[in-house]
Amino acid sequence: MRTPPSFFRGLCICVSVFVVLLLVAVFAGLIFYPTAEDLIRCLTSAEIRYAVLLSVSTALLSTALCFLVSVPTAYALARFRFFGKSWVNLLVNLPLSLPPLVAGVALLIFLSPATSPIGQFFSSHGMYLVYTPAAIVIAQFFVNTPYMIRIARSAFLSVSPRYEYVARTLGCSEFSAFLKVTLPLAKSGLFAGIVIAWSKAMGEFGAVLMLAGAIAMKTETLPIALYLNMSTGDLSMAIAAALILLVISGTALILVEFFGRENGDVYA
Amino acid sequence: MLEIEHLSVSLGEFSVTDLNLHIKRGQYTVLLGPTGAGKTILLETIAGIHRADTGRILLNGSDITHMPPEKRGIGMVYQDYMLFAHMTVAQNMGFGLRQHRCPKAEIEARVFQTAEMLGISHLLSRYPKTLSGGEQQRAALGRALLLQPSVLLLDEPLSALDTQTREKIRAELRRISQDTGVTILHITHHFEDMYSLADYAVVMREGQIVQIGTPDEILSSPATDFIAEFTGMENLFTGTARPLSNGLSEICLEGCSIVAVTEYTGQVRVGIRPENMLLSLERVTSSAQNMLPATVCQVIDSGAYVKVIVDAGVRFSVVLTKQGAEQLKISTGLQVWVTFKAAAVHVYTY
Repeated sequence: MRTPPSFFRGLCICVSVFVVLLLVAVFAGLIFYPTAEDLIRCLTSAEIRYAVLLSVSTALLSTALCFLVSVPTAYALARFRFFGKSWVNLLVNLPLSLPPLVAGVALLIFLSPATSPIGQFFSSHGMYLVYTPAAIVIAQFFVNTPYMIRIARSAFLSVSPRYEYVARTLGCSEFSAFLKVTLPLAKSGLFAGIVIAWSKAMGEFGAVLMLAGAIAMKTETLPIALYLNMSTGDLSMAIAAALILLVISGTALILVEFFGRENGDVYA
Repeated sequence: MLEIEHLSVSLGEFSVTDLNLHIKRGQYTVLLGPTGAGKTILLETIAGIHRADTGRILLNGSDITHMPPEKRGIGMVYQDYMLFAHMTVAQNMGFGLRQHRCPKAEIEARVFQTAEMLGISHLLSRYPKTLSGGEQQRAALGRALLLQPSVLLLDEPLSALDTQTREKIRAELRRISQDTGVTILHITHHFEDMYSLADYAVVMREGQIVQIGTPDEILSSPATDFIAEFTGMENLFTGTARPLSNGLSEICLEGCSIVAVTEYTGQVRVGIRPENMLLSLERVTSSAQNMLPATVCQVIDSGAYVKVIVDAGVRFSVVLTKQGAEQLKISTGLQVWVTFKAAAVHVYTY
């Protein structure tokens, strides 16, 4: 006869079952609330289509920028010894624990022609960054770069520097050892970083709201569309935006979990 | 041909200080020393990975101290192979030749030839993860050898392998050394590596060289405790040496005193190999200077031989053959005599 699980084990299992049921119930509510016709009408509406297009394009652009900046920074943090490294690490990580709203306000103060010489410099050259789609890219980039750096850094740390040493003795320069050996070996970690940064960029709200504003059909990303429609009482439109975001998050998660893992064993 | 002069390198907790070492062309040198002695950092500095703080490195007469690793013509093999997981064995082995823009057909031919020599030509299309440790190490050796380096640096190349494979790769290394004439510098923690491979052994401690010599010299007069333990010295004691006549000294241990051949005085360490000690039931007449009464404390049967721990004021470990143990009817509590020559006592400072 099987012995019954201990009290502690039973408790842990009960709590996890409760958490899982809660998550399923909450998201199922979102999915099943609107009628099918209503949902299709909303998903195909011009506003949602605009929001999807804007979100996808700004997120792609900000993720690309993020990647370009994060890879060298993460590599330096993972490999080089330099003065003040731990402080740089701390500073780079600061935005992680900061509410995106605060980052948004800081960016607004930094880039607005009304408050900063940098903003004045850009506007005097005809570049109005604040309250434009460009501001969306800047906000997403600023909020997500620390995440990407963190993920890329641990990806590089997981590759022993000795691979590079061997590559150097085999004729590689520093840069080509990085390109031909470290980068491919850190591939799955970097891939996870890109997917996470992109899906977070798709969903970024606070910083975007501050820097780009919530202007319908101009800076209306999916989260902004959700917010605007919610505040005007159009629940179906809001839910349509929310569902798209849910699907994107779910897909990103699955990609990271399965592709990332499979990628690690792809050479086996 | 590889000359290291007054080399100092510091990397956090590991360092090498004012190190001098000359290695002749084609020589097989084994580098010994405890963890943290600076062996790996020395190898990596020779390879050009770390920058020397002071001193210089000469290879075949030319100064390579500030030359980047890719220009030095020095090969490197690590304990954990460091094969590139995203490349097949053939791609790994051909990596160096590709960097040197060798024609594709030539790369293929040379990779195959080297793989044949190492007995891994049937594995060329496989990925490293699917290979055994021994196969991976052969591939790593092949990868380094394909560039025909003038110096091959090996950082514990056999440590991750099982005993049998270690034997095989060791034989491979000996053959490579003889056939190619490459100068080899090999870090090891295995006694057998020194014995079966090395022309010379270099002992390091705390970033400095403490002893250089042939394996026999190292074995007969170990300069440090680490080496004594490394070479299988078991009876290690601390004592005080006092000179007697004719180069002999009396060394007072905690519990008894023994006679040794040494010039050291004061605080010393002594070591006696278990196989250099004799057990008898009666006091025997011999030229041996040390003859101590003792009691058998423990008898450990390890198959081929019997290890006997006896108490003669200090505890000695003595090795007997199975027959010898049976003849003496060795058992716990038995009164015996321990005999060993003064020359069998290795004395060193620490």
